[in-house]
Amino acid sequence: MPVKKEKEPLIMHPRPSSIVAALYTLRDLDTDVVILHGPPGCSFKHARLLEEDGMRVVTTSLDESGFVFGGHDALVEVLEKVIERFNPRRIGIVGTCASMIIGEELHEAVTQVQPDVPVIEVEVHAGYRDNTKGVVMALESALACGIISEAEFERQKALLKEATMVEKRHGAASKEYLEPNRGDLKYKVAGRLLELIKQGKKGLNILNAKKETAFMFADINLAVAEVAQKLNAGHNIVNMVNLDDNVGLPKNRRNAQEIKGDLKEKGFKIHHTIGGLDEYPVAGNTAERIISEKYKDYDFAVISGVPHALPMDNIKNMELFSITNGPRQVVPLKEMGHTHVVVEIDLHPKTLGVSHIVESEFGATLRELAKDA
Amino acid sequence: MPKQIAIYGKGGIGKSSTASNVAAACADEGYRVTIIGCDPKSDSSITLLRGRRIPTIMDLMREGIDIREEDIVFNGYKGVKCVEIGGPEPGIGCAGRGIIVAISLLKKISSAIEDTDLVIYDVPGDIVCGGFVAPVKKGLVNEAYVLTSGEYMPLYAANNICKGLARLEMTLNGVICNSRGALNEEKIVSEFSKEIGSQLLAFIPKDVLVQTCERDGFSVIENAPDSEIAAVYRKLAKSIMGKRDGKIPVPLDDKRLRELTRI
Repeated sequence: MPVKKEKEPLIMHPRPSSIVAALYTLRDLDTDVVILHGPPGCSFKHARLLEEDGMRVVTTSLDESGFVFGGHDALVEVLEKVIERFNPRRIGIVGTCASMIIGEELHEAVTQVQPDVPVIEVEVHAGYRDNTKGVVMALESALACGIISEAEFERQKALLKEATMVEKRHGAASKEYLEPNRGDLKYKVAGRLLELIKQGKKGLNILNAKKETAFMFADINLAVAEVAQKLNAGHNIVNMVNLDDNVGLPKNRRNAQEIKGDLKEKGFKIHHTIGGLDEYPVAGNTAERIISEKYKDYDFAVISGVPHALPMDNIKNMELFSITNGPRQVVPLKEMGHTHVVVEIDLHPKTLGVSHIVESEFGATLRELAKDA
Repeated sequence: MPKQIAIYGKGGIGKSSTASNVAAACADEGYRVTIIGCDPKSDSSITLLRGRRIPTIMDLMREGIDIREEDIVFNGYKGVKCVEIGGPEPGIGCAGRGIIVAISLLKKISSAIEDTDLVIYDVPGDIVCGGFVAPVKKGLVNEAYVLTSGEYMPLYAANNICKGLARLEMTLNGVICNSRGALNEEKIVSEFSKEIGSQLLAFIPKDVLVQTCERDGFSVIENAPDSEIAAVYRKLAKSIMGKRDGKIPVPLDDKRLRELTRI
């Protein structure tokens, strides 16, 4: 007898797109130019942002007649122009809803043009429930081109599965509708944090950030360490970061190195490395293990990046200061028991195209308040 | 690799009848055969299943079934594996996208299109959009056959299909004439085949036995195995199984096509 799939509950708020996820993955794979095969406005905002990271994104600009008559010729033309104009070493072609519905074959254009550099073809549209599907599809294609190893592919796939679960449990996919929320007032939360540090309370300072967002989230952990030092309480703070630079795709390793370099220069001591920049869905488990062994009795924890990926078991009695960049993450975090939740609004765009730590609002607030402390 | 064929032709010209009789004849010869019905009407395999309608891939998808091979692949006459893709209700959604999704699902979950000797794709008469050529574009078809009668409109459709095949750089392995009793029919189709750079593989005479058997839910191979028409299908099956050569067809212009049918 045919078995019915368990019906996934409806989620109404807008969520990340698998097309965009494929674009970011191609960037992490050091792709020089990506052709979006579809209408000109598709994924515009992210296409634009990715240019800050040095990856070109162009579009075949399909219009009504492209939808009706097919977009093969347009794709061939753009592919030829891309090769001539940018002389790329690695090209990506990414599908869109429109081109995939009408049955465009990305490979046909590649067969016709015969570029002498690798082309990663991703036949993706945005109609997948989990945007991680776009990442997997891009990686599958990269594997087929021999750009990543089978082992790295399997590693990434396992991480993405975890990332999807994290979002389902306590993230943006956890409820039918999540109200966006600006979070608690940074001024008040920073004040409370300073108070605890001044009282000589023991605290965990955890960075568990997703990829390049760590460029700003790390600034928060840095600020915590700095103000504790200033208040002669540096010895009370334990720093844990997911900045292992021996794992992940090339860009993620580079970014981990850059951030670590900055932290070191500022005298920030890494007590524990809990994973790499792409290991945010599982690095929380490593942190959890370390906490259960050594720091169960700590008074507070600052968690920046993806705080909802940290299991609550050993931190639920601590006063939690969580910093996220998702306005829809505030309600779930509060429900999990995070005492203070702060949102660094529009964080992601500010972490594209950078190679050094970027100042955060919460870090700046903390530093400013500490001046009078 | 199995022989993977698609039979094209104008709607109503007899593709499903031909496909199911060829499938049955090949099964008689001991070949392992799979037939994939790509028409939203989902009637390709019905005469191999004694009139039974099987759930289509699209039916199960609509119901939210976690589709496994055994839910969509059914054993018909002498073990012929039957799959129907199906489609949305007429006038709703996108049947072409349905074929694309079904084909990638089949590739993923079923061995029926690989672990076999012959796969027949029974495609709809009108290739109205990109989705309907998905089996060809996804590399699942390596031989194409065109079915036509000697009348102008079916030949016009056959010629159009040749245009499509040429554009896809797909070879044509032969033309089959399903007679409607037109004047000089065999000669016309034979000449058409030659001029497009192919050959006439079989002339299937009009025989009421085909409809009679179909109405009862059978192929003629199963229900009238000793009939003359069954022998014709057997001969065609043999020639399909023996064929390896094909050529990209050269379609005719409409003027020549009209002349041809005036013979």
